[in-house]
Amino acid sequence: MEKVKVMIVDDSKVSRAMLEGNLSRTNFEVCAQAKNAAEAVALYEQFKPAVVTMDMNLPDADGLECTRRIRAVDPEAKIVMISAMKDASLVAKGREVGISAFLQKPVGINELIDTLMILCQSKAGKVAVLRESYAKPFVKALQQGIFSMTGVHSEVELEEEERSFLEVSGIAVIVGLTGMPNGRAIVYMDSNTMKDFATVMLDAEESDEITEDEASESVEEAVNIIVGRGVSNINDVFKDKEMRITPPGTIVGNKIRIASPKLTTFRICAKTRLGNINMSVGFAEGE
Amino acid sequence: MDAKLVNPFVDAFTTVMPQMGFPEPKRLKMGVKTKNAVSLGVSVIVGFTKQIRGNVVYNMSEDTAKFIASTMMMGMPVAEFDGMAQSAISEMSNMLTANAATNLTGMGLEVDISTPSLSIGENFQVKISDDNYLTVEMDLGGHVVELDIAVEQQ
Repeated sequence: MEKVKVMIVDDSKVSRAMLEGNLSRTNFEVCAQAKNAAEAVALYEQFKPAVVTMDMNLPDADGLECTRRIRAVDPEAKIVMISAMKDASLVAKGREVGISAFLQKPVGINELIDTLMILCQSKAGKVAVLRESYAKPFVKALQQGIFSMTGVHSEVELEEEERSFLEVSGIAVIVGLTGMPNGRAIVYMDSNTMKDFATVMLDAEESDEITEDEASESVEEAVNIIVGRGVSNINDVFKDKEMRITPPGTIVGNKIRIASPKLTTFRICAKTRLGNINMSVGFAEGE
Repeated sequence: MDAKLVNPFVDAFTTVMPQMGFPEPKRLKMGVKTKNAVSLGVSVIVGFTKQIRGNVVYNMSEDTAKFIASTMMMGMPVAEFDGMAQSAISEMSNMLTANAATNLTGMGLEVDISTPSLSIGENFQVKISDDNYLTVEMDLGGHVVELDIAVEQQ
């Protein structure tokens, strides 16, 4: 596989060496290293890297100004800011000048690779990153969430969703995901599974004791907890992501089709004694 | 919920739709509901986080959805509510909500929005709040789009 060219812009020799060391074991290769803004622009033109890592503090200009100059040369330039400081104001200013992603020093290797892959790899590379780093945390959350709320064990499968829509008869709870990447998680199951799930969750003797409303509210709350855990699992690994969840929206009915065009979607199915509890988690393309 | 939070959504609708070639939308009815919304056929949910949390639903009949998709695609006939038409409606929902988010930011409220989820079916129920929510009907060239809005300021 052809290596992807990266240029490092950082005035610290140690920081440059650390990044280069991290990238040396991957599919990325450092094609140039610049220690100030003037060098960065000249080397960018010479090497045309696929992606640039940018420090905030440079001797002749700050990282924002350096980004502005590089993007004046190439408006499509992909730039990731890696700096010691990262606050809302810096992120806002950075977005204005065209910085695609922000990481805080010291950068974890996984975090760095995932960010670079999402920015400049092929579709196949993106799907692999989304599956490993973003879909898998939901697999764990679904399995543990079901067990902690009902004591029910499950066998869980994860695969990329090929269908363009989900077909739901029963209940679907939709929870939006914001941050980067944004998307949505949908947990759905048939009416009998919903009733049985709520019966066990509420510790009722018989499913007849539970009303339809109680059943759907129980599932809604369970989904809220499960998706919240999934996002926490992601945020634990990627300390800069700050992914958040929206309040749930719940859909109840028969033969409902739910589509989310333009998302890369994964299907997670938990097979339990109560029936199948399905989750669809989809992410928008990176910026 | 606070009624002043509804205006950013109504304003987004009246600003964005004419830019896409629709006639000037008119506000028909506005009210508070407590029961679940019933889908008119096509319902798109978009969620909010940060200083505003909640959901907005764009609720319409399949005929209206086809009319909107056709207008967005420069008058191309839309006989079936297919993948391309669904994409157009999702895109519209995304644009309207992003514009509403910008309006909210103008009020000093920072918000992030999720991707839209589009549901299609007959008589299914949509619940976006444990409490009451606001509903606004907008007229769009003789078609009706219902906006169900349940958002809370944090």
